[in-house]
Amino acid sequence: MDPTNEELYRLAITDAPYVLAAYGILWVALMAYVGMVFRRLMRLEREVQVLEESMERRAGE
Amino acid sequence: MKQLRVALVMLVIGGLLTTVAFVMAFTTAEVQRFGTVTLSERIDTAFPLQEVTADGYRYERPWFSQKIFYFHVPVAEASFLVFGVAAFFAIRFLMTKRKEYDTKSRIAMETAIVFVTLTMITGILWTRAAWGVWWEWEPRLTTYFIMTLMMIGYFVLRNSIEDEERRAVYASVFGIIAFINAPISFFITRLIPSNHPVVFQSGFATSNLVPFILGQIGMLLVGYAIYSIRMNEERLEERVEIMKEALEG
Amino acid sequence: MAETTARRPGRGLSWRQFRAILRKDIVMELRTKEMITSMGIYALLTMVVYQIALSQAGTAFDPRTIAAGLLWLAFVFTSMLGLNRSLVHEKDQGCLEALLLSPVDRPVIFFAKAIGNMIFLLIVQVLTIPVFAFLFLQGSEYGGQLWMIPVALLGGAVGIAGVGTLLATMSVNTKGKDFVLAVLFIPLMYPLLLACVSATTAAVLGGDGHVQQFWSGMGLIAAYDAIMVLAAYALYEFVLGA
Repeated sequence: MDPTNEELYRLAITDAPYVLAAYGILWVALMAYVGMVFRRLMRLEREVQVLEESMERRAGE
Repeated sequence: MKQLRVALVMLVIGGLLTTVAFVMAFTTAEVQRFGTVTLSERIDTAFPLQEVTADGYRYERPWFSQKIFYFHVPVAEASFLVFGVAAFFAIRFLMTKRKEYDTKSRIAMETAIVFVTLTMITGILWTRAAWGVWWEWEPRLTTYFIMTLMMIGYFVLRNSIEDEERRAVYASVFGIIAFINAPISFFITRLIPSNHPVVFQSGFATSNLVPFILGQIGMLLVGYAIYSIRMNEERLEERVEIMKEALEG
Repeated sequence: MAETTARRPGRGLSWRQFRAILRKDIVMELRTKEMITSMGIYALLTMVVYQIALSQAGTAFDPRTIAAGLLWLAFVFTSMLGLNRSLVHEKDQGCLEALLLSPVDRPVIFFAKAIGNMIFLLIVQVLTIPVFAFLFLQGSEYGGQLWMIPVALLGGAVGIAGVGTLLATMSVNTKGKDFVLAVLFIPLMYPLLLACVSATTAAVLGGDGHVQQFWSGMGLIAAYDAIMVLAAYALYEFVLGA
């Protein structure tokens, strides 16, 4: 490649890791947070189901 | 459950929009220029040649790190908006003393702290790329730093009060005063001359505006989805508590 | 006519209540001298820490450039100590509850406590500055006008006492007490302190445009005081009610 062109691209390329890392961290962090909330939500959901069943059983007795 | 489904749909749409904005930022958006670069040879480039000096050829410098604008700024604005929502519900709580407003305010504050943290992280990475340092005491960075500290303070305050009603009142009071403080600290830090780029300083091409607006809408949708999902979780938790009590009683 | 006569004794009453609460704080302080002593000694100790921090700075370093920052730093920490003490007393002796049971207007309580705290802070400031100048600024020239310093001090004290009283009233009712106060207090104080340091530095250094820097700093201090003290005053009633 032409050395001067390389010089020009280098300017852009040195910044690229930071910009891309910023977007990557943004998405990974958001996904991790949402995933965490969802896991808690699913556990609660199961808990509600168990409780509902036991309530029904008690009503039947 | 219907609410949860709506939140999920919004999360997916928000994710898609921000991704589209990200792709557009690197493809269709016009490259912003920042300063000049002097090269020893004449090159074949789309960037205009400014002048020929004894040192070489001066070209306009492509500003790559500006691309962060299309997701950093939407997160930052969303964080401020969600903070405002938290303060709004805090006011509603103090007016009505209804517990649900306190819960809403707390969840909004939690969403805000997620967004503010993300703004800080993307901001720090941008600072490194553009200015070559990881941190600078610059108005916007400082303001967000202070905002993060205030939000941490909000949760510290909550965690150190046992009485439920008192906790709600104190947290609301602090949430409101913190929200009033945030813009003040923003304006006061501007006393010091800054080198943070001013958004929209010289007009904005449509090709830049479209990805920015898409990113902004996407981020707001994501914010609402997070808030909504967390609210759902809170309600479920309450239901579990009530059912447990009923079973024991 | 009837309305004005009905109102006047009410107003006189709240003025009397205000004076009574303020007098109670001052009389108690005169008797025990606890707040002033603890705040004063704390400020002195901060000076020792400053000496350690500046010990390697060398002779070329001009301490005037950071004098204002160091002073306000001392005031922030001493004021946190004072605010915490002032409200811990109220709470431990059941004084606040007694005040709430008595037919005293809530705003009166806020202003009486805030002005009491402000007076103590001002006393500590007035005592600290000569000591600071004696220890750190000997031989350096004072650049600005002398009246600027008390104006900036007063502006800062109003904000610290106003917002601090609200926060301290909350923090004494938490498990963390002084830690919670620090966590809430310092971020909220940030803009005020920045403006105070800017105005005070202008007064200390003088030079070109220092009058303008001083007044723009004072303008920001005034704006902060007006907005934040008003907000603290409006929210205080809810804190007392909880």
